[in-house]
Order: sequence, then C-alpha cells, then structure tokens
Amino acid sequence: MASTEEAEAEAGAKAPKKNVSYPLRILYCGECTLPVEYCEYMPNNDKCKAWLEKNLPSEFGKIYLGEKSPEGGDTGETDKKGRQKRGGRGNIKIKKKSEPQGVTIARVQRNKKKYVTRIRGLATYDIDLEQARKFFANRFACGASRTDEDEIVIQGDVTDDIFDVVPEKWPEIDEDNIDDLGDQKR
Amino acid sequence: MFKKFEEKESVTGVTQLKSSAQRGIRAKLLDEYSHCEDYLNQIVPKKEAMKIVKCHDHVEIIAIGNELLFFRQRDGPFMPTLRLLHKYPILLSHQQVDKGAIRFVLSGANIMCPGLTSPGGKMAPADKDTVVAIMAEGKEHALAVGILKMSTGDIASINKGVGVENVHYLNDGLWHFRTVK
Repeated sequence: MASTEEAEAEAGAKAPKKNVSYPLRILYCGECTLPVEYCEYMPNNDKCKAWLEKNLPSEFGKIYLGEKSPEGGDTGETDKKGRQKRGGRGNIKIKKKSEPQGVTIARVQRNKKKYVTRIRGLATYDIDLEQARKFFANRFACGASRTDEDEIVIQGDVTDDIFDVVPEKWPEIDEDNIDDLGDQKR
Repeated sequence: MFKKFEEKESVTGVTQLKSSAQRGIRAKLLDEYSHCEDYLNQIVPKKEAMKIVKCHDHVEIIAIGNELLFFRQRDGPFMPTLRLLHKYPILLSHQQVDKGAIRFVLSGANIMCPGLTSPGGKMAPADKDTVVAIMAEGKEHALAVGILKMSTGDIASINKGVGVENVHYLNDGLWHFRTVK
C-alpha cells in the first residue's frame, strides 16, 4: 500500500497540525452524538443548539454566532420552494427513545402454593436485562430467567422485596413507578 | 454497510481472541497502517486483550476494552471506526467533499465524483480500493469512511458516478453501536 503513504503525506500537508499529539479530543453533541460541527445537519437541530449553549457556551459561540450560518441554514430549511428537498429524507431517521413506562410486577401461581414473580418494564429504563436478571438471582438466592424482550421471571414470591430493591439498585426508578398487578394468570 | 445495523439484531457474538490470532491481526494492522506505527501501538497495545465482535453480513469488529476500533467485511481491509478516526485522523488519507454533499453522505449515499472535484472538494492522490476518510468543506472532522471505487486520477477525469463507496458514516448503525459488553 505504497499509495496510501503518498496520500498520507498529502493529507499531512492538509492538516498542518503535525505537532498535535494524538489522540485528539473531540466534542460530541450530547443530543445527537455527532461532532458538534455536524449538528446542523440533524433534523432536530434546535435541541442540539440548546444543548450546546447550555453545556459548552464557548463552542456554541464559535459555531453559530461567528458565521451566522450563511450556508448552513439554506441547505436545510429555507429552500422549500418548488423542488422537493433532496437527501433530507434518510437523515430524519432517529432512534426514538422509548419513554419509561413504569415497572409492573405480578405474582403468578405455579403450583397451588408456589409462586413466581414476573417483572416487566425494566427495559424501558435502558436497563440491561441480563444484568438485572443476574442481580435478582443473586439477591433473592433463587432462579431468575429472562423470558421475553422485557420480562424477567423470578422464582418465589418476592413482590414485597422488589419495592425496596429495585429503587435502591436503579435510582432512576421511583418506588411510585412500580405497579403491583397482584395475582395474575400465567 | 451499516445503514440497517442494529446492535441487538446484527451482533451474533462477542469472543475473546486467542493471543495468536491477536498477533496476526496486529501484524495486519501494522502492515496496513504502517505510516503511523507509533500511534498504532497506542491504539492497539501489544498485550491488551482483544475482542472480536461478529456481526451479520460477515462483518467483524475489533474491540479493546469497551471500545470499538476497527471493522472489516469478509477478508477486506481493516477500517477504523469513525470514533477512532476522529481521534487519529492521520490513519487514512483524506478526501474532501463540498458542502452540498454533506447531507447526502450523512444519510448514507456514496460519494459521487462531482462532489470531490468541485471547488469545495479536495483529493489526496490514492489508488482504487484504498480506504479513505471523507472530510467535508469547512469541517474539521471526518464524516464517513469509504473505499475508493476509482483512482483519484480517474475521479478527476471521468467526473461521473460513484467515486467513493460509503462504508461507515456519522449517525449510522455502527456509530450508534458504542460499546461492547
């Protein structure tokens, strides 16, 4: 790959900061995860702007106030007339964050006097269910299995403990968000 | 390549590499990126445990710790992920596209020749099938990683059609796949 090396020399000339020590530190937008200079190409640029203004005011000034976006603006929104906007479509796809919907727990009768506890809704809080499963199994010293995308079954009736354990382990879940459905059919 | 990539669905397994295999990969990387050997030692320390993330479509991603570093398809060349490339821009040769092309590239389009040859674009001479970083007019950081479909000379003279195949771009599936567990 000799050619790469030649090209490299060229590229090196292009980036005059030979004395810069790598790795560089890059600022990524907290809203859209792109480097901040690319925020303007995202569909909800306003949020990015707000984020940047709040978190890194100096950068914000550099990007948005300095150049007043003479080109940046018109590539995106302003040229609505007539022709359909090109290339904008693919950009819009942004992963929707699922809103936390609360956790539900239910007791399911298994064998007259034996129960299992079923927990749903943990995944909506961005919790790794595999870790949660392990945690429950450890904590309650019992079997626990992940039975579905967003469902963990713990062997034994641990409904009461769940109310204490879950908010303690995951502070983002409030005790009020845990809903006890009581006895449920399997 | 990573337009439809989804961590949950596309990853089939993460395995620790054997040290012998690791040595092989390291040698390959050193061979491919021989111009920045020092940095490569920084990126891929000799004795660090490497993980390989196998994905659909014969894609393999090399990770150290939690960080994804290089990926490749089948027996293709190893390509740095954008996060890595941002840290070490010197890994690849830079091809610059004009402003108008940015949003197309960001939605996954291949890089067309006119975008590279227009006043806003810049090319560093390179052969066909070289892995290149796609930079943008007025921007500091790379926005995509691609493979040249023609040599830069051809791009300038033909000036039509796909010049660089867009492999990995900002905000695609691989970009959102940040850490391995």
